[in-house]
Amino acid sequence: MPKRRKQRRIIDTDIHERVTYSDLLPYLDNPWRRYIEDNHWVQEKHMPYTQPTVAGVDRADAVTPDGGAAGTDLGFMQKQLLDAEGHEYGILSGALDPSPSSMHGWYEMATALASAYNDWQIENWLEKDSRLYGSVHIAAQEPQQAVREIERVGSHPKMVQILLPIDTRSWGDPYYHPIYEAAERHNLSIGMHHNEPPTHFGGWPRYFIEWHTMLPTAHMIQVSNMVFNGVFDKFPGLHLIMIEGGFTHVPHLMKKMDQQYKELRHEIPWVKRMPSRIIQEHVRFTTQPVEELSQKEFMQFVDQMGSEDMICFATDYPHWDYDSPLEALPKLDEALEEKIYSENARAAYPKLPQPAGSVK
Amino acid sequence: MREVVCEKEDIHPGKMRSATLGKIPIVVCRTKDGEFYAFANRCLHQGAPLSEGILCGDTKRTDIHGNYEYIKDGEILRCPWHALEYDIKNDGVMLAEPDKKLRSFQVAIEDDQVVVYK
Repeated sequence: MPKRRKQRRIIDTDIHERVTYSDLLPYLDNPWRRYIEDNHWVQEKHMPYTQPTVAGVDRADAVTPDGGAAGTDLGFMQKQLLDAEGHEYGILSGALDPSPSSMHGWYEMATALASAYNDWQIENWLEKDSRLYGSVHIAAQEPQQAVREIERVGSHPKMVQILLPIDTRSWGDPYYHPIYEAAERHNLSIGMHHNEPPTHFGGWPRYFIEWHTMLPTAHMIQVSNMVFNGVFDKFPGLHLIMIEGGFTHVPHLMKKMDQQYKELRHEIPWVKRMPSRIIQEHVRFTTQPVEELSQKEFMQFVDQMGSEDMICFATDYPHWDYDSPLEALPKLDEALEEKIYSENARAAYPKLPQPAGSVK
Repeated sequence: MREVVCEKEDIHPGKMRSATLGKIPIVVCRTKDGEFYAFANRCLHQGAPLSEGILCGDTKRTDIHGNYEYIKDGEILRCPWHALEYDIKNDGVMLAEPDKKLRSFQVAIEDDQVVVYK
């Protein structure tokens, strides 16, 4: 395939490794194991669409050589993604869903699944490729159990973030603040990625094209909720990475939040700075799924964000809306490309190694 | 430039395969009625290998909400990544943006061989 852009250092902020229930069984105790092994429990999923693509949610060419589901084979993923695209690092964001919308009230099982997943991830992915870094999965709907899990695996040197789902809850509520306290304690960032369903108002739209188009609205709700609930005032060292919502909605959100702050600030006295300033300092947005943008259009968004430090590159491998490191973005200024493809992510994930010779 | 891709029967109706024409990666498609077409094997969007996608059909444009009529079965080349669609019997035109089209190549059947020309 012709390559328009030279290969560069890439920190990919969204790679989905995929687990099967049989993979998890060795990491589960009873009664949880029994629910799957003997009672044939499967997680209820909500998405009402068959994705009208070529291979469901996956790239058609990401099926593993033995016919397995995309994302299940480390060796194939190394060959098709990490080696081919020249990745320096990749952040695994998983495909397990212990979120409230999928588990309803059964947070005990969700907690067990998250623990099993973390152990599986560490043993089978993080400890087998030096380029891969991981996400602590938690059943965030039950913060006490979630904090226990963060304490259990969060200090692993290759765990760089805590993953929160974007679904039916807004995570800025003080009820969830113990999670952020634990994140700071372990130098972990917070990654938010949509789960099912990410639409707060109106429920599911009629068509997949509507849902996929409106993903950023769910991200906007979470960012607004985190900022206005004072999360970043309370936890000044916290980094938030909004994964798979793109970034072109961000200038509007920043401008809108600032205007609201000028008018309604007295309602939230725990927020002490302009929202746009808080977002610039604490929140990062992944490129994928990026619209086709000219260089001029791309730079207009960057200018309106008032910062070159807020956009991080992501492929979303192996999913159908994967973005190619070589093709997805327009050609940009060399220094800006360096930031977007690697350095902004390196700053957003304090546990990632720094380049040789640098001082952090 | 002339390149023999394969025997005619190596590509069944409704199937496709990747090949090269000189240094150019191409995809050779055979429609269900047996006709052959060849295009650059690279999606115009982000360069995905089209030969890893599928040959499928389209939904006919309609003014009636909720009305689906499946047409052009096996004549639409759909990208393996973002599912962009190209009409292989209409010069490789992209369905969503008809002012864009794939680079196409002439195909001939010579002595039961599929031959592509540039």
